[in-house]
Amino acid sequence: MRYVNSGSPQIRDNTNTKRIMIDVCIALLPATIVGCVLLGLLNPQYAIQSAILMVISVVSAVATEFVYKLCSKVPFKQILDEFDYTSVVTGMLIGMNLYQNSKWYAAVLASVFAIAVVKMLFGGTGKNIVNPAIAGRIFAYISFGAGFGGTMGFERTYSSPLTYGSVQAGATPLQAVLGEAKCTLSNLDLFIGTGVPGCIGEISKVALLLGGVYLVCRGVLNFRWPLIYIAVTGVTTVVIELIGGAGFTDALGVFLPSILSGGLFLGAIFMATDYVTAPITKLGKYIYYALLGVITAVLRDAVGAEVVSFAILLGNLIVPLIDAYVVRRPFGWRKPAKEVK
Amino acid sequence: MKTFRGGRHVPDNKHLTENVAIELMPIVPDYYVCLAQHIGKPASLCVEIGETVCEGQLIAKADGFVSANIHSPVCGTIVEVVKRKTAQGRMADFVHIKSNGEQKVVTLEPLTNPTKEQIIARIAEAGIVGMGGAGFPTAVKIQPKDPVDTLIINAAECEPYLNCDNRIMIERTKEFIEGVRLLATACGVQHVYIGIEENKPEAYAAMLALDGVVDERGPITPGDIVVVNLKAKYPQGAEKTLIYACTKRKVPTGGLPAAVGCIVNNVATAYAVWDAVVNGRPLYRRVMTLSGQGVRRPKNIDVRVGTPLASILEMCDNITEDTVKLVMGGPMMGFTLPDLDVTTTKTDSGFLAFTDKEASTLLPTPCIRCGRCVDVCPMALTPLMIDFYATVGDFKGAIKYGAMNCFECGTCAYVCPAKRPIVQSVRLTKMKAKEIK
Repeated sequence: MRYVNSGSPQIRDNTNTKRIMIDVCIALLPATIVGCVLLGLLNPQYAIQSAILMVISVVSAVATEFVYKLCSKVPFKQILDEFDYTSVVTGMLIGMNLYQNSKWYAAVLASVFAIAVVKMLFGGTGKNIVNPAIAGRIFAYISFGAGFGGTMGFERTYSSPLTYGSVQAGATPLQAVLGEAKCTLSNLDLFIGTGVPGCIGEISKVALLLGGVYLVCRGVLNFRWPLIYIAVTGVTTVVIELIGGAGFTDALGVFLPSILSGGLFLGAIFMATDYVTAPITKLGKYIYYALLGVITAVLRDAVGAEVVSFAILLGNLIVPLIDAYVVRRPFGWRKPAKEVK
Repeated sequence: MKTFRGGRHVPDNKHLTENVAIELMPIVPDYYVCLAQHIGKPASLCVEIGETVCEGQLIAKADGFVSANIHSPVCGTIVEVVKRKTAQGRMADFVHIKSNGEQKVVTLEPLTNPTKEQIIARIAEAGIVGMGGAGFPTAVKIQPKDPVDTLIINAAECEPYLNCDNRIMIERTKEFIEGVRLLATACGVQHVYIGIEENKPEAYAAMLALDGVVDERGPITPGDIVVVNLKAKYPQGAEKTLIYACTKRKVPTGGLPAAVGCIVNNVATAYAVWDAVVNGRPLYRRVMTLSGQGVRRPKNIDVRVGTPLASILEMCDNITEDTVKLVMGGPMMGFTLPDLDVTTTKTDSGFLAFTDKEASTLLPTPCIRCGRCVDVCPMALTPLMIDFYATVGDFKGAIKYGAMNCFECGTCAYVCPAKRPIVQSVRLTKMKAKEIK
């Protein structure tokens, strides 16, 4: 009888990459479903369009990975064995970052770009330097203009079934925070997502939060990191308001709307915390997420539009720098004594 | 509860043998005693081929300062010296002893109220080595160059499955504590700690029931042995993490425990010291845990050094057919065996047979930089970078991220979702480091 020969340790934790990625997919589901349903409340047609876009993104992301590997002459069975659901996560995130009126080719090309260029060309899982989904979204956003869709697709003003508040047609609640549109939606609306126009996945913060809690419970995510990102964004926004001359209570009132609007929750919980493109040390992570928060708040104020994806892209590119400078000292490390001359 | 930074609670599976009393292994016909059971030079044979030896008789003398005596585990005839594979897979000289069924035991002279020098001499004479796994000669270990003030007994037994130390503390409490006192005298220290993980309440209670043994919270009078209850977390029983948990002292990188005034010894070693001093019995027996789902009746057995593994397993109704992995030692730092054709040594604390469910047989996938290894590393290294650099052949890079400070506990590889062979990368780096310099 032959026995397995292996180096220590002889037992392993039962997590693996595949399981983690499946967990992320599960965590993304509530936000996707609630997003589609809430859009359906505005206009039943939106729900169908959103669902189709989600399917297109996921299918094209997975198909791209398979085609790329087949072109690199990897045997089909090996591709199946190696399949770790990372492309499903990327596809889902791209779908969630699209609007219900995005064109199908925007979804397909964003996925193809994300997987083929950003992930596979850099060496596949774990080797990409920026988050594929973010890069895919930005690629589609700056390439297709109207084809990418947007809140201008909401032809009229929809009011929330909860509070009957509404956003000015064609604008987002975030633009209202930034003082460029009218909005009478309450924070509760923003949190649940009722009457909120936006990307499919970013509408319902409560559903995103639910996914986040699931990931924390499964040990996939440390709750600190999204929390730092979100909190720093809110605080920085308040500070910017204060510097801009707003009264203290007014500035404080911006805190909740600023964190509850736009794609901050989606970005903070699922995209900035992507393992591959985040720093590896604890101190590095504190710096990274705080930095993301500051960049997001400052850029939002400067541009007057949603910038979470750009902030994360920028942050991703700074990560190697953070990792190079934040080096851990081994346990028991002592400062080398200065040589006596 | 005291502990260290990092680490991970590993399901300990100690329930398999936790309440199984130590059994004595009967004498078997053949013994193969390894001459290189310790770190340092192998012992040199001092008996003739064909000579009849008694149980406890010196058969191989320590060769040099860092070496240890070896005694015959049984009455019998020296048949030959053969080259065999050790559990680690190295070739070494083994003395083949055929037992003759006699029960004649040769012991050293028992000592009463021994002095420091007497105890040290006895430890060397009895061939006692660190029984936790490293096998460093104890007589050398307790005479460090730096001044020491603290003796720490490693009773953490953080390796899952193993219960040999636990059972010694429960069944041979008095003897063990007496051994600790003897060690303390030999080291000449003021403070004595016993670091035990919280998952051994029975052993903890048994020790505290004795006079002169107190809990760290209780009123401590000078001369007391202090039992420190530690969090059940791997690798709590590693030397540096144990010292930190008990005394808050940090052993400097690349340094020995003596640099911070500590000496660490294992439970089984302390018991062996008692046996050698009070009974005059040299070290040729030890308690081993035989466990894992692949062992039909998991047990703790007091075995003689040199016993073939196959005969020990007969006492446990052998291993099951669905066994996929054989492990000598604990599951975290132990070695796999190609077959059952090995014999026990002074340092083998356990043998495990794993079925497919327990053993890890998944193949490595690319690192996803999740940082779990960074969070758990007790030495605060960056395992994923070490693995990355070692894999691409840049060993300077691997050393920069701390490969040389790694003591190969394997916690990083345990938690790795990509199943990276991080420990192997570290070993490769350590081997290559000599070439670089």
